[in-house]
Amino acid sequence: MSVYLLQTVNGIGIGMLYFLLAVGLSIVFGLLRFVNFAHGVFYLLGAYFCFEAVRQGMSFWAALLIVPLFVAAVGWVAEKTLLRHVYAKPHEFHILITVGVALIIQELVIVQWGPLGDSVAVPSGLEGVVMWGDFIYPKYRLFVIAVTGGLAVLLWWVLEGTRLGSAVRAGSESPEMVSLLGINVFRLFSLVFALGAATAAIAGVLAAPIRGVEPFMGIEALAVAFVVVVVGGLGSFTGALVGGILIGVVQSVMSTLWPEGARLMIYVAMAAVLLLRPNGLLGKRG
Amino acid sequence: MNRRDLLALAAAGIAPMSLSRLASAQAAEGIEFGAPFPMSGPFAVNGKYGELGVRMAIQRYGTVIGRRLAYSVFDTEAKPATAVRKVQEAAQQKNTKFFVGGILSPEALAMGKEVHRLGGVFFCYSGADEITGKECNAATFRWPVPAYGAVAQTLRPLIEAQPKAKRWYTITAQYVFGEGMLAATKDVLKEKGVELVGNSYHSLAEKEFSGYLTNAIAAKPDVLVLLNFGTQSTDALRQAISFGLHKKMTILVPWTSGLEQFQSLGADITEDIYFGAQYWHKVDSPTNRELIAQVNKELKIMPNYTLAAAFICTKCVIDAIAKAGSTEPKAVISALEGMKFEGLTGQEQIRKEDHQVIKDYYLLRGKAKKQMKDADDYVDVVSSGQSFLTVEQAGCKLS
Repeated sequence: MSVYLLQTVNGIGIGMLYFLLAVGLSIVFGLLRFVNFAHGVFYLLGAYFCFEAVRQGMSFWAALLIVPLFVAAVGWVAEKTLLRHVYAKPHEFHILITVGVALIIQELVIVQWGPLGDSVAVPSGLEGVVMWGDFIYPKYRLFVIAVTGGLAVLLWWVLEGTRLGSAVRAGSESPEMVSLLGINVFRLFSLVFALGAATAAIAGVLAAPIRGVEPFMGIEALAVAFVVVVVGGLGSFTGALVGGILIGVVQSVMSTLWPEGARLMIYVAMAAVLLLRPNGLLGKRG
Repeated sequence: MNRRDLLALAAAGIAPMSLSRLASAQAAEGIEFGAPFPMSGPFAVNGKYGELGVRMAIQRYGTVIGRRLAYSVFDTEAKPATAVRKVQEAAQQKNTKFFVGGILSPEALAMGKEVHRLGGVFFCYSGADEITGKECNAATFRWPVPAYGAVAQTLRPLIEAQPKAKRWYTITAQYVFGEGMLAATKDVLKEKGVELVGNSYHSLAEKEFSGYLTNAIAAKPDVLVLLNFGTQSTDALRQAISFGLHKKMTILVPWTSGLEQFQSLGADITEDIYFGAQYWHKVDSPTNRELIAQVNKELKIMPNYTLAAAFICTKCVIDAIAKAGSTEPKAVISALEGMKFEGLTGQEQIRKEDHQVIKDYYLLRGKAKKQMKDADDYVDVVSSGQSFLTVEQAGCKLS
């Protein structure tokens, strides 16, 4: 099998994880017009809570269900007690507050678990690789593709097929009108923020057996999430999916074409999209 | 003005002068070491253990030539520009002349030049050949075996142990250290008649290695060599294991930070992997036994490479101050040059012509979990030895 085909499949796998990481950030910005530089710490907390849970004897599957709910609760509390008070402020305040929160949480992670990274074992049943001719791919990464694909469908259904999703989409157009229709906009904001935190936490849990855990993984994740959101279009669910897969495939294919530039090409791709479509591939004008 | 006011004014005038004199006296008595380490960012773990190593040495000696030893840690953030600025601040504000640190090659190169310009002494432990090679200077000393020796002492024994392994593939971090490792790898493979079937460079910020591993799989090598360092070699190895590459080929990581890296990976990942290391706590030398006893007692851990390297670098400078009977940097440098000492790997010597410490480098092999005798018994020592470029080959011309 051609190495480029292998790289494309690998890129889709990487891209699905990037999508999960970025979709929460995109939805939060779409509804709240809030630039959340603390988004990466939800990914970090998801990974570390998973690590700790597994170390304490919980199964990975239980951690995959419980940890995102716990991190969503953290996101809910952070939004209600702190972040909602700066929504009306200029974006610089958003950046200041959320970077501060991110640094505090990162340092707390170091205090609790130390600066040394650690590993999370691949859950039993998913160890090993799938082999098909020259194609070798870890079973766990195929599982991640399947799970993130399922979550993408679930999120799409929530956003397109439920009353909550209608409120979120309407709120991204006009929060005032949504409020006038009797919907508690503040509760909606909290819910969406918690949802964003949960999706990032799921990405962290899924990534932990692949990447391990280390205290600075949140920063790296945030950089990629912003690239995906900018490429796909701020506030666009489908944009986050397309952007994630595109970035993952670019990174993977470039590992063969120009290995030393593979990481750089993520940002070159972002720049190219911005030049051609300033609002992102599927972003809305205005 | 009454007597009470006069006494109050006099006290107010004398007190700062006394404090100033006390501070001056303390400054004159103490010998300040600078410890520039990356205390934040992806290499913070190395910085943490580096600081502990300096602390162990300072605490062990306490004083030298009748003067109290002290140290200050600076966060270089793993950035050369920040590291240079911190060195300048230490030299200007605290009159610091002795520096131990420089875990990463770019920052070590930059700091070495600055310390040389400031007239100090810098004992570092990064790996780029240039540090005691083409970019050597009179102020800089280096403890670890550089890239050339690390590659020679890992690849050669492995080639001899696996004569049928004729196809090798490398994944290389594209910066000065990685380039040095790759150049040395190519030389050894060529000398031994083994083919380098491919190389994938990656950036210093890379964390996703699946693309490069896919390249390696396509090349069908017998041996995969990871020419990177720190969290990158940890990430690359973890992902290589997840791809099942350890079952299809031998994997060698010529440059590791030893125990802390094995702890981060876990025995399930390190089993049957070959590692190169500057230091292993099971090496039987008097200095190593003393260090282990001190670290066990005070820190309740086993010393790892980063801690051990910082300790021995600091110890060397302290010993040189004692030998010179002076803190004058030129006298300390003269005392260091050619100095033989009982080091962590046995008998070690500082080569006068390029300030490189001549010491052993180790090839290790990961044990199965059930074979580990204790929690830190991750590897067996397969071989050890010394390989260094000659001063002429290294290209060092000390001025």
